[in-house]
This record gives sequence, structure tokens and C-alpha cells, in this order.
Amino acid sequence: MALPFTYHWRNLFVRKTTTLLTVLVIAAVVGTLAWVLGFGAALAGSLAVAGDEQTIIVIRRGANSEGASAVPVADFNKLNQLADLARDPASDQPLLSPEMLVQVSLPRLRDRGRTSANVAVRGVTDAAFRVHRTVRLSGRTFSTGASEVIVGVRAAQQFAGLQIGDTLNLGFSDNRVYKVVGFFTAAGGPLESEIWGDLPTLLSAYNRTMYSAASLRIRDGADAASVIKEIEGPAIDLSAQTEKGYWSGQTSQVRIYLAIVAALVLVMAVAAAFSIANTMFAHVAGRMREIAMLRTIGFGGRQILLGFLLEAVLLALLGGLVGCLACALWLEAIGHTKDMYGSGTFTTLAFDIRLTPAIVGLALAAVALVGAVGALVPAWRAARVQVIAALREG
Amino acid sequence: MTLSYVLMQNLRRNPLRTALTGVAFALPMAIFVLAISTVVMLTKTAARIEQQLRLAVHHKAGITAFMPEGMRRKIEDLDPNRQRLLAVCAMRWFGGRIPDTPNPLMSLACDVDTFPTVYQDVPMTAAEVEQWQHERRAAVVGDGAANQYGWTPGSRVVLDSTIPPYQRLEFIVVKIIPNASPPNAFYLRRDYLLESLQARGLTGTGCNIFWVKCRSAAALRTLQKDIDALFANSPDETRSEDENAFIAGFIEALGDIPGLARVMATVVVFIIALVAGNTMMMSFRERIRELAVFKAIGFPSSRVFLIVLSESLLLALFGSLVGIALGVGFLLVPWHNPHSESISAPEVSWIAVLGSLAIGLTVGLVAGLWPAYQAVRLRTTDALRQVV
Repeated sequence: MALPFTYHWRNLFVRKTTTLLTVLVIAAVVGTLAWVLGFGAALAGSLAVAGDEQTIIVIRRGANSEGASAVPVADFNKLNQLADLARDPASDQPLLSPEMLVQVSLPRLRDRGRTSANVAVRGVTDAAFRVHRTVRLSGRTFSTGASEVIVGVRAAQQFAGLQIGDTLNLGFSDNRVYKVVGFFTAAGGPLESEIWGDLPTLLSAYNRTMYSAASLRIRDGADAASVIKEIEGPAIDLSAQTEKGYWSGQTSQVRIYLAIVAALVLVMAVAAAFSIANTMFAHVAGRMREIAMLRTIGFGGRQILLGFLLEAVLLALLGGLVGCLACALWLEAIGHTKDMYGSGTFTTLAFDIRLTPAIVGLALAAVALVGAVGALVPAWRAARVQVIAALREG
Repeated sequence: MTLSYVLMQNLRRNPLRTALTGVAFALPMAIFVLAISTVVMLTKTAARIEQQLRLAVHHKAGITAFMPEGMRRKIEDLDPNRQRLLAVCAMRWFGGRIPDTPNPLMSLACDVDTFPTVYQDVPMTAAEVEQWQHERRAAVVGDGAANQYGWTPGSRVVLDSTIPPYQRLEFIVVKIIPNASPPNAFYLRRDYLLESLQARGLTGTGCNIFWVKCRSAAALRTLQKDIDALFANSPDETRSEDENAFIAGFIEALGDIPGLARVMATVVVFIIALVAGNTMMMSFRERIRELAVFKAIGFPSSRVFLIVLSESLLLALFGSLVGIALGVGFLLVPWHNPHSESISAPEVSWIAVLGSLAIGLTVGLVAGLWPAYQAVRLRTTDALRQVV
């Protein structure tokens, strides 16, 4: 028979101060952990959505990002000859999108405009909406030939002056006034950090004759690797990557940052485990006679061991809940947005950090594990109490 | 029986707890040292930069927009007698990388005549300035990149540009910048870049940024206003910022490391305070009778207070020292990536070490106060009667 649950629950509150202090230590660690997991999930979510193996991004050989690339129209047209290019079933148009990438410096809302960031502006045609299948409009799109733009929801959330009806200055000398007419989502992908406008008007606004890049979809069942090989071959001689490969390259900086924070949290988790061990040792030491009594009335060593592990896990979970709550409050109060530059560009990728049930679950599971690890040795010691000696003591 | 004897006995009595507390205290402390070192490094860098009195003038549309090179003359003409400004250096982004690798360098093409004046913090000797002026392919490079690729003055270096028209250029290193920020800085001559662009039939005279070296902080402020006013309503409206403000946007975009360091430092201080407090409460509770005995045999309350408090302090000192050693050890390991676009690598500073020690001891003091106060308030007869 296992020890009753209430026995452990009530034991936590026998030493209120010690329990409270330990719970707070764990809460501090879990709060940080939950933030890291939230950021990691935002990054992974954004990459998973970008991870379309059927979409290929084509840039100029030697360029390291769409923004630094220049593709002459003649070179772009060569892409039409690709055998594996997918076609729109309705119009039989090839799913090939010419795109231009520039940037505009906008103040961050997070610090009330103290700093600004470069937001990507992508000039597109109708084809872009067929190639980037995740893009969904909310509101209307820009009219062809008009000085209008639509804004990704992440960008609208994080930078000033991107609400519907606002105007922003674009163009080679910043002198063309564009009006925001709609928002779009891209299922959480990196395109949501961008501003989209009409390609021909943007080309003229920036005095350009070349596209920056091209995006294309390949036929279902076609092999991306062989298409890339064809694009990089002598007939076309451009550089190509799957959309997934391109964006995971662009986010390497973000991943380094996350890895550093995760390493720090790991160190803190080790400290929390030691702190739990410390508390549990004190619990065990203070309850020697009680444990001996439990043994005397027939509870086995294993039950005692499991019982103390359970107690530590309860303690850890309590701290975990407080920590998650603190993290949620922090995100609410300080802000849940974060943006970082892509590694090959000077344009920003915006992230929205949210505590989802999955993240809370993961954080609690991790902290329960930390609690169990910390309590292992003290619980083992409790299970091996010498009954006679402990009863006689004191 | 001296105080130190009692303290050592107490810490030794439960070596397991002392060790557990030590580790639980030391690990967050190590993080604290790293966080504070980062903040100290950034503050020092900012102070150093501020002394340089450089104003960054870029296009209002952002740093990737080009401005005509003639704007340099217009800026200079604002102050023909050089009362407020010393020199103006135009720069154009080159975006170089080591051929056939993804490794980028922060490479900028600069005006040959004014670069040594505007970048006085790159300590170039007269001979080096002369080389820079006479060798068209001259490059002034950061020590991070130089160490990484084994460049020395005189090395021939080939870089590929990652921006149109993606040309490959050859350079000769004339100067390695000590403690460069960023470590992968690479300055080349703008006339050399221009020549290579013109050879391809391109104009390429556009500049991304004008650095204005000012005479005083007051002059910097007035120039900032005057320059932006000068180009207002022109096709090339400018935005001028002092160098620190200019860099702040980039630091923010690299993940806001200073903000992270501050949050981490706060969380960690919170953790060590709780860990120390917890241990002191536990050891106090176990020793209630012992403390009562001290009082019974005539120890004054102040002495009992001191015993409990100094135990907490000693524990904190022990944990802090181990933590500082860990943190400093981590900083001394030379694994900083020269490609990382950090402003510069954090280094061990006395301010950070002493600051961490002070915080650790303060935490120990605070954590010990409550148990020590309890010890003083202890009613001897009750405590002796109590069965734990």
C-alpha cells in the first residue's frame, strides 16, 4: 500500500518557511525556462511554417540573402524553362514569383520608439500569393499600380505606423507615400514580419530594373534537390535553396542567442536541483522517528522512497506553477514581442512569445524531473532508516 | 571558544548541507558574474565610444539607402573654419566575406584622407597612415578576424562581396586594430572600390553613412540638428545619431544582450538570496536548543546574533568565491567566435568581480538577519524545553 497523498501534501506545509523559500527558488528558474521555451516555440513555429520543401527561393550567385541579391529580368525568365515548375490549375500560369526586397527603418513599439529596426519590404505580383500558399489576407490587398501596401501581422504588432490607414514613406529617396490597406498572416512564418506592395510601382520607386529574387513552387512529387541542381547549373546559373533551408540559415543568429539563454537556464536548473536536495535532506533528517514509525507499522522501504520523491515532485510542481504564472505576468506587463536581425540581412524577424498549454506542460515536466533528481539521494537515505536506532533516538 | 571556532564547527557539522548550499549558491553566482561582466563591458565600450564624439549621418530610409558622396562637402561647409567638426568620412558597405565560406566581415569602404582622423581610436602610426595613403589595396582589420585567419601586416587577403555586383577584390593588410569592436571589422579604401565598380561600367559613388568627427559634445549636438536641417526636404533626408545611439539599434536587434544580462542578474540574485535564506532557516531550526544553551551559559544576545549572522556571511562568502571562480574561469576560456557580431568579447573586470562579491555578501547578510533576530528573541526556557 502506498502512503496516502494527503500525508505528503500536508507535510509540505509543516515547515512553511522552508517550503516557501524552495518554491520561490524553483519558481525563478521555471519562470526563466518558460520564457526560453516560449521563444524557442515561436522560432520553431516560424521555421516549421517556412519549411515548405516544395517552395524554392532563387537568388543571385554570391549573394547571401534576398535583400543583397539582384536578379536581372532576363535571368529570371530563364526559370520558366524548368520542367518541374508547378502550374496553377485554373490559369495554367507557372507558379513563379518575381520579388524585390528592400527595407524601411521603423520605430519599435516595445520601447516607445527609442530604437528602430529595419523591416523588410517585399515587392510582389499576384503570383506571390499562389507560390506562398500560407499567406492569407485579412482585409483587402493592394491594388495593382497603386501606392498601397499590406502588412504582416507580426510587423504590425511590433512597429509603429503600420495600422490600416497609416502612411509610410518608401522609395529610393524615401519620397513615395504608401498607404497601409490591409494585413496578412502567413501561418506564423517569417513572412509575417514583412510589408508587401506592388512590384512594378516599388521597382520604379527604388529606381530598379532588376528583381531581387524569385520564389517558385515545384510540381507535386518533383525532387527539390534536382531542381536546385538545374537552377545552379550552366543553363540558368543562379543560386537556389528550399524555403526551409533559406530561413533556417537566416535564423542562425537567433538560434545562437537561444542556445546561450538555454545554457544559462540549465545551470540554474542544476542549482535548483541542489536546492531541492538540500530541503529534502532537512525534511528527512527532521522526520527520522516518523519514518521509523512508518516502517514499524508496515510501510516498505520502497514506499518510503517513492513517498519522498513524490513530496519533492509536489514541491517542484508548486514552484513550477508559481514560475509559469510569474512568466505569464511578465509577458503581459513587459511585452511578449521580440525581434532579431536575420544573419545575412539587416532586416528584422519578429517573434511573438506566448505561453501555450504545451509550453507550461513541458516546463512543469522538466521541473518535476529536476525535483525527482534532487530528491533521489535524500529519499534513498529515508528508505534506509535504521528503525530501532531512529526510534530510540532523541 | 572564539567566534571563528564556532563558525567552522557549525559549517563542518553538516558538510552535506554546506556543500549543497555552496553549489546552489555558486552556480547562479557564476551566471551573475557573466551578466555583470557583460554589462560592465558594454558600459565601458559605450563610454569609450562617447569620447570619440562621432556622429553617424545616414539616410532617413535606413542604412542601406545610398546618399550622394557630394553630401560630404555640404556637411563640411556647415563649419568652414572647423570650429565644431574635425573631419567627415564617407563609407560604403562592401559586405565582404572570405571566398567559398559563409564567414562575413563587417567590411566598409572609407574615404582615404579622413579615415585616420575620424578613427583616431585606431592608433595608427605615421608610417601606417602613410601606407594606408599610398597602397590602394590597403585594409585596416580587426584583431578578431586577423587572429582567426592568421593575417599580419603585409598579408594579401581576398574577399568576395555579398552585394551587387558581387566582385572579388584583393587587399593588403596595413594595420591590425587592437581590441577592435566589432572584432571582425574590415576597413578598405573607397577609391579602390569605386575604381573596381567603374571598371564594370557602374557608378557606385553612393555612400551609406557619413561619420562626422566632432570637437566637443556640445558641437556634436548642434551638428546633429544642423545636418538634419540642412538636408530636410531634399531628396536625401538624413537622420543623424551619435555613435552609441547608432549602435543601440543593432544591439537590440542582436537579441538585446544588455537587457538579457540585466534580467538574468536580477533573477539570479533572487535565487541566491532564497537559497541562502533557506539554509539559514534550516540550520537555525535544528540548532534552537544549542543557541538556547549559549544564552543559558551567559552569552550576550549580541554575541548570539553575531554567531548566526556570521555563519550566513561565511556561507555566502564561500559560495560567492566558488561562483566567481567559475564565472571568471568561463570568461578566460578563449572560445569567443570572431564571427559573432558582438560589439566585443566580455572580459574579466575587477568591477564585475568586486561587485559580485559585494552582492553575494549582501545577500548573505540579509539571509542571516531574520534567523539571527529569531535567535536573539529566543526564550531560553521554552527553547530548552522544546522537543524537536
